[in-house]
Amino acid sequence: MENRPALRSALAIYTMLFIGFLYAPFVVLGILSFQSGPEGGPQFPIIEWSTYWYEHIFGLTPPSRVAPLPIGEALVRSMTLAFVTMVTSTVLGTMTAQAFRRRFKGSGFVFYLVVLGMIVPGVLVGLGIALVANDLSIARAWWGTAFVTHVLYTFPFAFLVMLAIFNRFDKSIEEAAWSLGVPPIRTFRKVTFPLIFPGILSSMLFAFTLSYDEFPRTLFAAGADLTLPLAIYGTFSVEIHPNIFAFGVLTTLFSFSLLAVYGVLMAASVRSAKKIAIQEDIE
Amino acid sequence: MAYDLELTGVEKVYDNGTMAVRNFDLQVEKGEFISFVGPSGCGKTTTLRMIAGFESITSGEIQIRGRRINELPAEQRPTSTIFQNYALFPHMTVRQNIEYGLSVKGFKAAQRREKAEGIMAKLELLEVADRRHDVLSGGQRQRIALARGLAVEPDILLLDEPLGSLDANLRKSIQNELKLLQRNLGITFIFVTHAQSEALVLSDRVVVMNRGEVEQISPPYELYTRPKTSFVAQFIGRNTNIPGTIKDRDGDIVVVDTIYGALRGFLTDGALEDGAQVIAVVPSEAIDVHPDSIDREELVGRYQGNVVEGQVRAAYVVGHTVFNAIELSDGREVNIESHIEKYRNVFETGTSRVHLTWLPNEATVIGKG
Repeated sequence: MENRPALRSALAIYTMLFIGFLYAPFVVLGILSFQSGPEGGPQFPIIEWSTYWYEHIFGLTPPSRVAPLPIGEALVRSMTLAFVTMVTSTVLGTMTAQAFRRRFKGSGFVFYLVVLGMIVPGVLVGLGIALVANDLSIARAWWGTAFVTHVLYTFPFAFLVMLAIFNRFDKSIEEAAWSLGVPPIRTFRKVTFPLIFPGILSSMLFAFTLSYDEFPRTLFAAGADLTLPLAIYGTFSVEIHPNIFAFGVLTTLFSFSLLAVYGVLMAASVRSAKKIAIQEDIE
Repeated sequence: MAYDLELTGVEKVYDNGTMAVRNFDLQVEKGEFISFVGPSGCGKTTTLRMIAGFESITSGEIQIRGRRINELPAEQRPTSTIFQNYALFPHMTVRQNIEYGLSVKGFKAAQRREKAEGIMAKLELLEVADRRHDVLSGGQRQRIALARGLAVEPDILLLDEPLGSLDANLRKSIQNELKLLQRNLGITFIFVTHAQSEALVLSDRVVVMNRGEVEQISPPYELYTRPKTSFVAQFIGRNTNIPGTIKDRDGDIVVVDTIYGALRGFLTDGALEDGAQVIAVVPSEAIDVHPDSIDREELVGRYQGNVVEGQVRAAYVVGHTVFNAIELSDGREVNIESHIEKYRNVFETGTSRVHLTWLPNEATVIGKG
């Protein structure tokens, strides 16, 4: 590699392009969110730098022809839904992965059945749920049918993360605990859980973020009260103002802060159990 | 008085139909050091895990001090297990590891501390008590695992290749510690290993297993000098096996017809009749090597006929042992370890033609199977 400068620079350019494509849209939105208001539109050039649209989101600007974003309730719904989905999927995922630590009859079949939830096209799942709910006369709601679809979607991710963690988990640590007289449930709480905690954090992060901005499945399953992605989408059909961009920046910052919390928790749990979960084999 | 541990007809069949352990019978007295030894896949670890409660028992019965434990879950059995990879709790200090079992058993903090310090003192762990164990050496970590297992005062300590991860020197020193510890504590140890030398050094009795079956259960000396099966003979010692048929007998000593002539050996299985296909197992160090200048007839008299002719192909002196490779009349090469004093006259005559001899009682005759 060192003595192939051409390849090196080609790869460097490729990487830069990749990162550029990844972040350019966000950077553009970020810049446009500081457009002046209310007369400034969602395009360059920036007439004047201002924080107008941020104030607009929080209702701090005088009334104008641009309606406030209908996101207050949707945000609360999405947060609640993401949180409950996160807890449910992580608990289910951990339990299922625990079951898969031993081979059982039909385990291969059940595995694919579980993973199907993340493979099947989201719109179809959402539509299917909506149809079934209709047939069974179940009212569609974000806390009901949408919640079920969200769990259906995020649970396989949580499951796969936990499966990977358990794959590398040294079972003899649990057996050692049993042989000291620690019952299985207590062993799980006091020995297994602290060691798989980083995995639990990861699957919580997955479940939360996936649910928080889930769109295609929710579209048909949510019913009348919209979640945040649906509410935002709804505003597109009227006219786009930079307040959407401002809001995009804020939710992105929120996601980053989630990641930061994840990082801090992870570091703490790694510090308290340095050789997490796996005692390396000493040959 | 019930046995400390009793296995009766214990069998293990896995879900896929593999028979891992077949008809295992064993009675262990309190304070015995028992080793399970055999090649990998022989069922020794599976048996240990059935005793520990990590593996279900397909049929048969395991009793500890007269009480059937087949249905007891692992945490309720009066055993504790030591693992090859130590299996220490990574998120606890040395002391917490050792005290953990005691806290579950309901001991108060003060008692826990006292007990843990007692066992740590025995195993020289006091100075590392509040350290993290992942910075300690393999030997220390295995001692922590031992301390943790012993702290809960099990009736029986189960050890699954506990020295397998240690280097040879450390292995030796921990072997000695282990033996002393077991003597002092007086509790029963069941020790699984694939290293026959380890089993022979440590144990009161050795269980040799092969393909899920018990081949022989004997004290080390007996196992070494009187193997019961050809598997044991080749697994335990450095033996020369000579096939033949029984021709005649005089008490326990039988005459076996072989390609090297009529040889005498000790018959362990009295059920074998004349004409039976057998193997004469001659331990390498039982064989004496004599220069051909010594009269063969004199040796025949002295060794009651056990004289075989050979040609020295190679001889190396290592300390007081001479390792030599000797070719027999049919071209087969046997390896023999001789004490240097016994080999002296071969060196001095400078000959390569030798007589190999052994006393009838030193060879064991076993059924061919």
